[in-house]
Amino acid sequence: MTLPFFPPDLFEADREALLKIVHEVAVSPDQKFILGTRTAELERALREETGAVDVIACSSGTGGLNLSVAALGIGPGDEVIVPAFCCQPVASSVANAGGTPVFADVDPRTMVLDPADTERRITGRTKAIMPAHVFSIMADMPAFLDIGRRYGLPVIEDAAVAQGAVLGDTAAGRWGDLGVFSFFQVKAFGTAGEGGVVLTDEKDLARRVRMLRNHGQDGVHRFRHHVVGQNSRFDEVLAAFQLHRLPTFAERLERRACIADYYTERFAPLADRGVLAPPPGRDGRCYYVYSLLVERREDLRAYLTERSIGTHVYYPVPLPRQPAFAAWAAPEGCADDDWPNAQQVSNRNLAIPIWPHLTDAQVEYVADAVCDFFD
Amino acid sequence: MGAPTGAPATAGGSGGPAAQLTRGVPFFSQAASFAEIWPSVARHVNDVADRGKYSHGRKVGELEKALASYTGARFAIGMNSGTDALVLLLRAVGLRPGEEVVVPAFSFVATATSVSLARGRPAFADIDPVSYSLDPDSAAAALTDRTRAVMPVHLFHQMADMAALGELASRRDLVMVEDSAEAIGMRWDGRHAGLLGTGGVLSFFPTKTLGALGDAGMVLTDDPEVAERAGVLRHHGRLGKTIDHIAGISNLSGVSGTNSKMDDIQAAVLMAKLTRLDRDIARRAELAGAYGKRLRDVPGVLRVPDVVPRAAETNPVWYVYVVEVERRDELVEHLAGHGIGTETYYPSPLHLQPCFADLGYRPGQFPAAEAACTRTVALPLYPDLADVEVDVVCDAIRAFYAGRPGRSA
Repeated sequence: MTLPFFPPDLFEADREALLKIVHEVAVSPDQKFILGTRTAELERALREETGAVDVIACSSGTGGLNLSVAALGIGPGDEVIVPAFCCQPVASSVANAGGTPVFADVDPRTMVLDPADTERRITGRTKAIMPAHVFSIMADMPAFLDIGRRYGLPVIEDAAVAQGAVLGDTAAGRWGDLGVFSFFQVKAFGTAGEGGVVLTDEKDLARRVRMLRNHGQDGVHRFRHHVVGQNSRFDEVLAAFQLHRLPTFAERLERRACIADYYTERFAPLADRGVLAPPPGRDGRCYYVYSLLVERREDLRAYLTERSIGTHVYYPVPLPRQPAFAAWAAPEGCADDDWPNAQQVSNRNLAIPIWPHLTDAQVEYVADAVCDFFD
Repeated sequence: MGAPTGAPATAGGSGGPAAQLTRGVPFFSQAASFAEIWPSVARHVNDVADRGKYSHGRKVGELEKALASYTGARFAIGMNSGTDALVLLLRAVGLRPGEEVVVPAFSFVATATSVSLARGRPAFADIDPVSYSLDPDSAAAALTDRTRAVMPVHLFHQMADMAALGELASRRDLVMVEDSAEAIGMRWDGRHAGLLGTGGVLSFFPTKTLGALGDAGMVLTDDPEVAERAGVLRHHGRLGKTIDHIAGISNLSGVSGTNSKMDDIQAAVLMAKLTRLDRDIARRAELAGAYGKRLRDVPGVLRVPDVVPRAAETNPVWYVYVVEVERRDELVEHLAGHGIGTETYYPSPLHLQPCFADLGYRPGQFPAAEAACTRTVALPLYPDLADVEVDVVCDAIRAFYAGRPGRSA
């Protein structure tokens, strides 16, 4: 049995549908390939699904963060607090706009942005906070909304990995003033290419994001460019493919959650052996990635590789420790242990396969192998 | 032919049966040629599905190789769009915040917003009224001590005056980058557009000479360092192998990059279309010739596009067919009433766009660009266009200026 971490057959069941869609869109009489009726229909469907006042499709999750940062007018001199342990776009979306990403530490168990450390880093230059959901766990959004309210700061919710999660009564993506989903292929609602959406309940922000994604145009006056916009659009082939996949999305999410339930139960006894499974449960959870925290990570990784089980270390180095962001890491001579939790989870995170098309036998095989390692 | 559905026909002639077409003439369609190449598209899309990586994957790599070979570029780097390619090219050549890049005031907005997005400052200059591209004297007048680069645009069907602009760039020690988004197939003294300076771009926007089914673009360069930087910037600044290697998503970032990965489905479509690119270019030239012949003497038509003689051998590629006309907006409405699609490239010059209001330009500063904006209109031009449809468009234009508005839809 070989279980690659990144399966090449994610869309095998949809291959014929994809071919049909490519053909249909290409020969369609409207000859409209970008931001057309299918994109509008997907936006409508996702508004319905999430309850958001507006959903705006764009070129990727990163594109969504770029649009959100631009919609808030963040630029030189402005600080945005972002997690030190995360994917690069939380920092690059701010840095590329000329702003300053300020890195805050994460929770050592859940690996998401720590509200207390976030609050500690607020200054008079702070213009927004950007919590991100990580692996299977949503950030503590009530706490960030509270901070945002108290300091008058907008919240950009990086929900790139959490589409479908619900915390309390509120869907991921809808907690922040702006929320972002990614359709990168391995994401829960991944697609056969690049894409994403911005969600917001604020009409003025929605209007700005819509203009920004298409060269600053308002959708009425062609070639009138109100603001310096970007090209961050979504295409009709992928919109049709996402509409095709949407009805079965909940089913796939549920399958992922069931696999996670099983893993978490199997791994509970390993807690005193240096393996921390994510906390059990469904509230505020989306099992996009199932990542363990493992003291002897490299040993376990090698053991699983020998058994043909693919694993992945998503973030081996905290963002402020990567050369790209060194310039923003210690502007005021912060101590080297400024992000101790980010450093520790970078050393210990190890993701194991959780694809919805894994069979029960494959899931058991993975769980057995992890448990065997500690026997 | 002559059926009321207006099935494509190749017979020439003016008036007569052509006037009976009722379908109208869309500004753009690639439906018929796509149907022809479908087996090849399907084969390439199946390759993508077999490989299972749908962006920044093996098919994108194949397309990069194919276009490097077609253009003669040492490096071709796939991107999410032509706009992104411009932004990341400017970053890759080392543009620093606040530095100025001289661009023409008459172009698509991305020519200038790409400079702003790369955190530079566009400095506008006027165009030559015949080629619609950056006027070397006006460009020289726009230089300041903050100028870092000059970025001519090869607009519509021919290249800018690369001899004069190249001379200006080297005399003033400026980086030359080309907005060659529209210029696939155009060559100057044997060198493909985009490769006359430090680098250029291609856009594969669907209506382009080589068009995808969504957004896609590319950086072209012969410079290995620029290629390396642009390649890293498009994938979050991540170092090491990323293309066709999904585990590369966790590579360390060397620079603050972004996500401008190209979709492999778009690469698949482009691979199929690339095999007929030269044929498409020849067909476009035929159609442009037919328009020229029919419109040159029509009253009200002030200018049909010319090919400007240059110091070096260079070839037109008819991406867009733009005429200058009297009462432009009325003509556009008249044609729309007959189901004929047009595009107004461009109704407003860049220096007067609201998004650049803070740069402080005023009306009257770039008269050629401003005049072009009042008179230019683009007519349908694409390989699927039938000869008889050119007749329909030209007849409708002639009727408009003869004061015979004719049947309205």
